[in-house]
Amino acid sequence: MAVAATISQRKRIKRKAPRGFLRRVFKRRKPHLRLEASCDLLVHLNCLLFIRRLAEEARTDACKNKCGIIKDQHVLAAAKVMLKKSRG
Amino acid sequence: MADSDISDNEPTTRTLLRRVLDTEAPRTPRRRQSTRAGVQRTPLGTPFSMRLRSQTKTTAGRQPHRARSIGRLAHIQTRGQLKEQTPRTLLENILLTAPESSMVMPESVVKPVPAPQVVQFSRRESSPGSLELQLPELNASTTLAPGRLTSGRRKKRLRLSEFQQGVDQGLPLSQGPVTEPPGNTGASSLSSSLNLTFATPLLPQSVQRPGLARRPPTRRAVDVGIFLQDLQDTSVATALPGDRTPVATLPTDTVLEDTQPFSQPLIGRSPSVHHSLPYPSLSAERTVSRRTRSSGPGLQNNSPGKPAQFLAGKAEEVDALAMGFPNTSSSTSGEDGLEPLLGGVGEEVEERMEESMSLSEVKEAAGAQASARAEEPEAHTEVAEAEGSWGAIEEKEPEGSSGDKDTEGRTARPELASSTPEFPRARQLEFLEPAPPTSTAVGLFRQQFIPAPSLSSEPLEPLSARLPTRVQTAGPRRRQDPYKMGLSHYAKLFSFYAKMPMEKKALEMVEKCLDKYFQRLCDDLDVFAAHAGRKTVRLEDLELLMRRQGLVTDRVSLHVLVEQHLPLEYRQLLIPCAFSGNTVFPAQ
Repeated sequence: MAVAATISQRKRIKRKAPRGFLRRVFKRRKPHLRLEASCDLLVHLNCLLFIRRLAEEARTDACKNKCGIIKDQHVLAAAKVMLKKSRG
Repeated sequence: MADSDISDNEPTTRTLLRRVLDTEAPRTPRRRQSTRAGVQRTPLGTPFSMRLRSQTKTTAGRQPHRARSIGRLAHIQTRGQLKEQTPRTLLENILLTAPESSMVMPESVVKPVPAPQVVQFSRRESSPGSLELQLPELNASTTLAPGRLTSGRRKKRLRLSEFQQGVDQGLPLSQGPVTEPPGNTGASSLSSSLNLTFATPLLPQSVQRPGLARRPPTRRAVDVGIFLQDLQDTSVATALPGDRTPVATLPTDTVLEDTQPFSQPLIGRSPSVHHSLPYPSLSAERTVSRRTRSSGPGLQNNSPGKPAQFLAGKAEEVDALAMGFPNTSSSTSGEDGLEPLLGGVGEEVEERMEESMSLSEVKEAAGAQASARAEEPEAHTEVAEAEGSWGAIEEKEPEGSSGDKDTEGRTARPELASSTPEFPRARQLEFLEPAPPTSTAVGLFRQQFIPAPSLSSEPLEPLSARLPTRVQTAGPRRRQDPYKMGLSHYAKLFSFYAKMPMEKKALEMVEKCLDKYFQRLCDDLDVFAAHAGRKTVRLEDLELLMRRQGLVTDRVSLHVLVEQHLPLEYRQLLIPCAFSGNTVFPAQ
């Protein structure tokens, strides 16, 4: 689980969720709230999906501008769209 | 031989070659790495000479085609043979081997192709190799039939039969698409001429363009004097606004490392500190942005002026900061005292940090982290802290409310993280904060240092004495890293999902967006839990959030998403599954 070996041998991606990090972030922002047992995993899932969509959007933006590299303005534009979408 | 021919109306290949060889300096051919024609290396020599002889029979029309073939042949030849083959040597070979026969040439001339033309030809040549292209003769033929040549951009193995065919066909065809060679008046004539025709007009051009030859790069020696002068000017300029410090601080590099300025009386300087606050904050912000990127040692070099400033007001600010910990709201009240600060700072800082967590946390983190990474002597860390706080200041401009918390956070941080030398800087930060709206992010990272020892026991008086003794703390690093590491973990996932190369700035932007996203996420979860009358966020809250985001629909359920994106271990924790013994895990 720690390393995504099958997806790409070239890039090792950690599949582990930074549970401690997520819990700490939540605790810092909302000290009066408590997080249930496995909720941080779902938060991690949420982040994964958000990042995935953000990456897709950024890639689309970059390809639209015929750039071979994703630049920060692409990311910014993609983030605007995505944050709007994931307003909840 | 060549001289007599030169005056002829019909320059022959030989004469042209000779002319080229005489006029053009030997050039180092650009080697091509492909080894495609290796097979044909051996027969190249003979077919080449054979073709040369057959040139006499062919007409100019064949030239382009043949030139191309020759080009390829030459290229292959050069490749197959030693690397020292140059167009010059090739031409000489041609001259040696080719029979001296007059070619059928129109009156307009074929001038030897200068080397630059060869380069052009090579570009237009079908085979991509550069070697062959540099043959002047080929260059001429290219101009003759550029269409033909350009069409063959793809690499082709030169076949002997093809070459011979090309030779036969080249001459008649060369008359066709004759295009411009730059300044080649004899294009038409070239086409009619046999094989090795040179673009005579090009020769004068090449001769007239010596600049095409390689020039030695003109380098300007660094004027150290001017550089130092600029440094001085910068330091003077930066020192001016916050000039409560003696000029002694101007030798910035030394000042940064040396905490001597703290020998000044610390107490009673708060008013002056405030004066200097706007300026140093502004300048600090600028420098912070600059300096966050630099490493520890580089910090000093970047803005010598700034450190001078900092150090200048450090004595006063240190006191103010130490005092002002409990009074975060009033940055000015620095002199309250260190003791109460140290006691209650921890809790206060934490709380404030949490509250003050603002959007640009990540930005500050980035800045502070970058600066925090300078974990060399405390001076560096101090500067880093200062920078971090200023970076926070910059970004948190709109976050005025969090200013208090930031000051607390900052003050706590410098205390915790570093020893006395850092104090002055931390104090400085404190005072700087009120001037610009303080940001909360700094506080967030300062939390790490709350449990740090040392600072709490340091009274102000020994500060100056302690300055020389610096405690190397890893505080700044710890402060920023956990949060940044978590974000960078997701940023790496981003770059993985994007499948495209990304800039570093784009990654930082991703981290900022993630920061905003986390804030929104926490707020939403808070609202949902409160709506349900709970104080604990549960799984259904998360599911509701995802449904509102459009990730979970009627078609796609949460379990499906979990199965798709999470590893098996997490899936087992999230999705209830029946096990043997009539048990379900996780229990519902």
